[in-house]
Amino acid sequence: MSITDPDPRRPRHTVTAIVVSHDGARWLGETLGALLRQTRPVDRIVGADNGSRDGSATMLKDALGPNAVLTLPRSTGFGEAVAEVLARLEPVGGREWIWLLHDDCAPDAQALETLLRAADADPKAGVLGPKLRDWLDRRLLLEVGVTVDRTGRRDTGLEPREFDQGQYDGVRDVLSVSTAGMLIRRDVWDEVGGLDPFLPIFRDDLDLCWRVRAAGHRVQNVTRAVAWHAEAASRRRRRITVSGDHPRRLDRRNAIFVVLANLPFRPLLWALLRNVTGSSFRTFLFLLAKQPANALDEIVALGSILAHPIRLIRARRARAKGRRQHYAAIERLLTPPGAGYRRLADRIQGYLAGSGFVESAGRHHAGGSSAEDDGDELLTDDHGMMRRVLGNPGVLLFLALTLIALVAERGLVGGTRLGGGALVPVTGGSADLWTLYTEGYHQGGLGSDGWAPPYVAALAALSSVLLGKTWLAVSVLLLGCVPLAGLSAYAATRSMIPGRWTRVWLASSYALLPVATGAVAAGRLGTAVVFVLLPVYAALATAVLTAEHRRARRAAWALGLALAAGTAFAPLVYPLTLLLGALAALAFPRRGVAASVAIAFGVPVALLLPWLAEVAADPGRLLLEAGLHRPELVDPALPARSLLLLSPGGPGMPPLWVTGGLIAACLAALLMRRNRMVIAIGWGVALFGVLVAILVSRTPVASINGDTEAPAWPGVPLAFAATGMLVVAALTADRIVEFRAAGGLRRIAALLVAVVAFSTPLLAAGMWITTGVTGPISGNVRDVVPALAADAAGDGRRILLLRSEDHGGLTFTVLSGRTPVIGEADIPSPAGPRDLVGVAAAGLASGRGGDDARVLAAHGVRFVVVTSPVRPEVSRALDSQPALARMSLSRGLGVWRLTQPVATPPAPPGDPWRSRWLWVQGLLVLLVAVLAAPGSRAADREAVPQEPSETARELATR
Amino acid sequence: MKSLIENRFGLLVLVLVALAALYGVASATRPAPAAGQVPGPRKVPVASVTTVCPAPDGAQVGVVTPPGGEATGTGATTVAAGEKVLGTVDAPGKPWYEEAPDKTGPVTVSATGSGAAGLESAQTRRETSGGQRGLAGIRCAEPAASTWLVGPGPAAADVTLHLANADLAPAIVEVLVYSGEGLVTGGTGDTLTLEPGRSRTVNLKDLAPSPLVVAVEVRTVSGRVTAAARAVMNGGRGVDWLPVAAPPATRVVVPGVPGGGGRRELLVASPAEVDTLVEVRALTPDGTYALKGRELVDVPAGSVAAVDLSTGIAGQPAALVLTSETPIVAGLVVTGTGKRPDVAFTAGAAPIDLGSVVADNRTGGKKSSRLLLAAPETAGKVSVQVLPRSGEAPEPFELSIAAARVKEVKLPGTDGAFAVVVQPLPGSGPVYGGRVMDEKLKDGLALTVQPLAAARMWALVPPVTESASVILP
Repeated sequence: MSITDPDPRRPRHTVTAIVVSHDGARWLGETLGALLRQTRPVDRIVGADNGSRDGSATMLKDALGPNAVLTLPRSTGFGEAVAEVLARLEPVGGREWIWLLHDDCAPDAQALETLLRAADADPKAGVLGPKLRDWLDRRLLLEVGVTVDRTGRRDTGLEPREFDQGQYDGVRDVLSVSTAGMLIRRDVWDEVGGLDPFLPIFRDDLDLCWRVRAAGHRVQNVTRAVAWHAEAASRRRRRITVSGDHPRRLDRRNAIFVVLANLPFRPLLWALLRNVTGSSFRTFLFLLAKQPANALDEIVALGSILAHPIRLIRARRARAKGRRQHYAAIERLLTPPGAGYRRLADRIQGYLAGSGFVESAGRHHAGGSSAEDDGDELLTDDHGMMRRVLGNPGVLLFLALTLIALVAERGLVGGTRLGGGALVPVTGGSADLWTLYTEGYHQGGLGSDGWAPPYVAALAALSSVLLGKTWLAVSVLLLGCVPLAGLSAYAATRSMIPGRWTRVWLASSYALLPVATGAVAAGRLGTAVVFVLLPVYAALATAVLTAEHRRARRAAWALGLALAAGTAFAPLVYPLTLLLGALAALAFPRRGVAASVAIAFGVPVALLLPWLAEVAADPGRLLLEAGLHRPELVDPALPARSLLLLSPGGPGMPPLWVTGGLIAACLAALLMRRNRMVIAIGWGVALFGVLVAILVSRTPVASINGDTEAPAWPGVPLAFAATGMLVVAALTADRIVEFRAAGGLRRIAALLVAVVAFSTPLLAAGMWITTGVTGPISGNVRDVVPALAADAAGDGRRILLLRSEDHGGLTFTVLSGRTPVIGEADIPSPAGPRDLVGVAAAGLASGRGGDDARVLAAHGVRFVVVTSPVRPEVSRALDSQPALARMSLSRGLGVWRLTQPVATPPAPPGDPWRSRWLWVQGLLVLLVAVLAAPGSRAADREAVPQEPSETARELATR
Repeated sequence: MKSLIENRFGLLVLVLVALAALYGVASATRPAPAAGQVPGPRKVPVASVTTVCPAPDGAQVGVVTPPGGEATGTGATTVAAGEKVLGTVDAPGKPWYEEAPDKTGPVTVSATGSGAAGLESAQTRRETSGGQRGLAGIRCAEPAASTWLVGPGPAAADVTLHLANADLAPAIVEVLVYSGEGLVTGGTGDTLTLEPGRSRTVNLKDLAPSPLVVAVEVRTVSGRVTAAARAVMNGGRGVDWLPVAAPPATRVVVPGVPGGGGRRELLVASPAEVDTLVEVRALTPDGTYALKGRELVDVPAGSVAAVDLSTGIAGQPAALVLTSETPIVAGLVVTGTGKRPDVAFTAGAAPIDLGSVVADNRTGGKKSSRLLLAAPETAGKVSVQVLPRSGEAPEPFELSIAAARVKEVKLPGTDGAFAVVVQPLPGSGPVYGGRVMDEKLKDGLALTVQPLAAARMWALVPPVTESASVILP
């Protein structure tokens, strides 16, 4: 049974093929046929059957003869089976090779010949493997060699569902090849000790090849040799019986084990650290994704490695030889460290392209989800990242809107301090915001034990994400509200509205509404956030009403969370949506809708409870929003036409006619025959929004401390109305396309409607760019608290800040030694001390003498600061006070110090229930977030049914 | 409903009707643009006053609180020289006079509550012979951050600056001297520190030895001081205190220019950095006129200009109205007649919108006191009340001053020193005034002038609101 080689330089090869079968009758026939048809005949073929119950053993015996088949118990692993076979085969002369084959792996007819030729070419090659392609779709690449990173993550270096076009061809040095079709020299096998019985399945091939490499041999993938592999075990086409453990846990355990056993000592420590942190993080993510089983597997796998250090040490001792000196060669073949970031980029890219998160590396590609059917987005799928991202109209829209916003906000971006209008100057960092939110007693102002508005917590969280920079968070939310609203409107309408350009029109019209430009100009952070969230509400509400039960429930939790965020910034959102939600629950009597609606509207109440109760106790505050309520920011007599044209008045408004095109297009949509019900609902929402806007703009509201009274700003209800109108218009846009195709008069009409509709976003953008943001908001707000006073008042003493108004009056506020952070002005201050200090401040400014200074001292005021303009009569009056000593005076600023000792009013002890409630609140947010997060089933809904979860993507080949 | 929705035009009509209705509602509810209702300032009685009489040794100190103030609680007025209490004044309406003993430092008059509203004090010294011969009076001033004094310079008189710190905080004082040649710099002791309760005198010669005329600004870097200056004219030509001049303004009224013979020299100082032309108009009992040949005074930047108006006013009681492009400070030197003349000073003053009090007046015998009231714009109407040291106060009498005229009123003969209260009546235009007191001595007229200062009777409390928007520009 040997072949004599005519060439004396080449050693004589003897090849023993070992086929291991285990319930693989479906594939075994073809495998055996392929084996017997090799152009370079195999010298010996031995079969090993691991207790198959589907007649595999019989097939083996029929094909190979009864003596060449070994029958083993059902629990035998692959490695053990091979070892059993080899124990019974005495070595033959020449260079003996072992060809390992799975029952589901059919080699090409020339595979062996090609492999041996490669072996001849490189005498140092100890292990050779063929290129593996998919069994069913025979063009799909599965493996051209496998490597691993230091956390044990398997990496094939292939794209998902990559076709074989010869792009990887050649003889490649790799870290490892699969045992399916592996050709290994017997002396090498004996030298390294064969497959490790501790790894009956998963990563045994990797471990073997690593040891082979450590022994100084080469592992090569010969791509001209092809084998087709069904990956039956990892795709769960058959049961795994070698171990009782869950395959996922086994895979993870083996992955960590192999890496830790084979790395030299120093990289080992690093890998250990990375595995511990990485696994903990992944466990956390799994918990977030509501996959407790996966989380358990992940942590147990790590635990089982760490709990058996002896086992690991023994394994390392067995692999000690040659490990260090050949590591340099092996290290080159490991996944490079940057791969993790590339993977992340891939995911984001995939998400942007609308195809959902895709796991590219380490996946068994043929088994991955095929055909995500999100329509047009996937058409661009095959291009490079840049083209794929830039080819997406949503991304283009976002970039264009960002550019428009940056140009329009040219005076605001990059200034020293953002503030003005309703926005108090943005100072401090996320830590200050967290302190403000969690402290039991606010020392700011005259001291208050009220609840800080919850939007402070939201802003603090965002600032923490943005490296603690509050100014960045506020800039992103407020100055970026136009592009963000465009993006959210584009993304939110994905399932609602067909046609990408319709969505682009909708999103750009929405993002450039007067509400948005007005919110930016007046520094209305609350409206800006709600404006970005409104399309999200619409999308989630649609999902709640129409999606399959589980998704609807998840959307309800998400809607609750989003509503809580919006309500925290502008409470008016809640009653508005509540009314619509109640109507929707009545109109859609589906099972579970009532419960979902209850969840969506219960969550904000639960999350915002104590603060919301305070707001509800003073209903006027419902109409206010985050930031200051100032009469100069609203139009007290907003004309009716302005309200109907979606213009809320105040600074930053484009001319009224800009939105005319939008209204006209929405009216034209009423003439379309399709989607009548939705159009009626959309217009209903729009009319409701306008009605609320009228009521809001006619209702005088006192500011939080009752110092001014002015009508509320109808931005939020008008954004509601606009959302309804835009959906109506966008839904009928496909008719325009049909009209255009129809030609003639209809074509002209369609063109006209399109021009009218697009006039709104184009005009709005043009107006915004040409005028810029001129409103009260400014990028360079002066810090009103002089450094002199801020330094000296560091010990909690307060500053009385005075300003003369044009009408001869005086406004004042009390600061605690620094400029207040955002949200501090939204905490109501107790009326008693406020009035006392007010009277004292007026007395001081009048120069009447008396004990005004004593009142101030009793309230902890150490400095009196007069901001620009400093009127001479005021500065003279303050100068005339014996109790005040002037520290500095200029035309723009005057600082006086109290000469008498100043008391620091002691802070009352904090309410212990407050901190407890904050903990409860945090846990509730976490719980709702987990319940709202997209689960595993949602992500894999189109996946092959046999693959129950995405865990299989990590499983190793068999 | 369903058929209405399915009908192609039904829905459109429905929506249009709804929009029209909304338009109607919005138009109907549109509020009329409301006129901003802003509350005006409130008038409240002053609750606490501290004044300092600079150097009362040998002089009579007069203290008075006018009656009728809406007192905020009872309070007492204390007159003290350092730690030593010279006296207390209990009832408003009764002036208190006492001659201060020799070597008395500055006297602090402090009052709270009912004693504070309108508290006025003055020191007057009368010498009939010697180097200090003449009448020298001064209104005791409140501590301030900036005080302007205009008068003769060290070349013409021996000028002493009296500084006192009556506050609880130390004061860092800076003295700026403007001369006819500009700001005098480089002198020693420009900046000095006054601890609380301490006082100090500075001879102006040490700061600027040469000027003939000066304008001195005593200003504090921190804290407050009272500043006064006494000028003893060279050659025995009289002595008096420089009254505090109104701070720099583009329009200055110098009231209280007495009639009669003698020299009248106007001093105009401009702290600005550009030269300026000052237009001078004189108000007299007969009318207003621009001074012939003196209507425009050229004041170089940062210096003091002197103009002789003796012939321009021609012996009439007058007030001067000065207007300029840049802020100016003005004062006037009055020299009396006789063999040994006396000198008196007046200066720019504020209108007496809230009333004015002069604490120390004397009439009878050879002494006479007169009020010179000026109404530069519209006609003024005031009531004048005399508050005698003892006995019942006579009924107040009313006076009207024609527009752009000066009215001279002789104060009635009263036994001993008395105080006088001038209150503008409703409907009156702005009134400026001065009090002239003189005594015909054998060898010449002794006189002193005090411009009427706004009384510390009332304070205007502005309407105040709490608003976090203060932190925004």
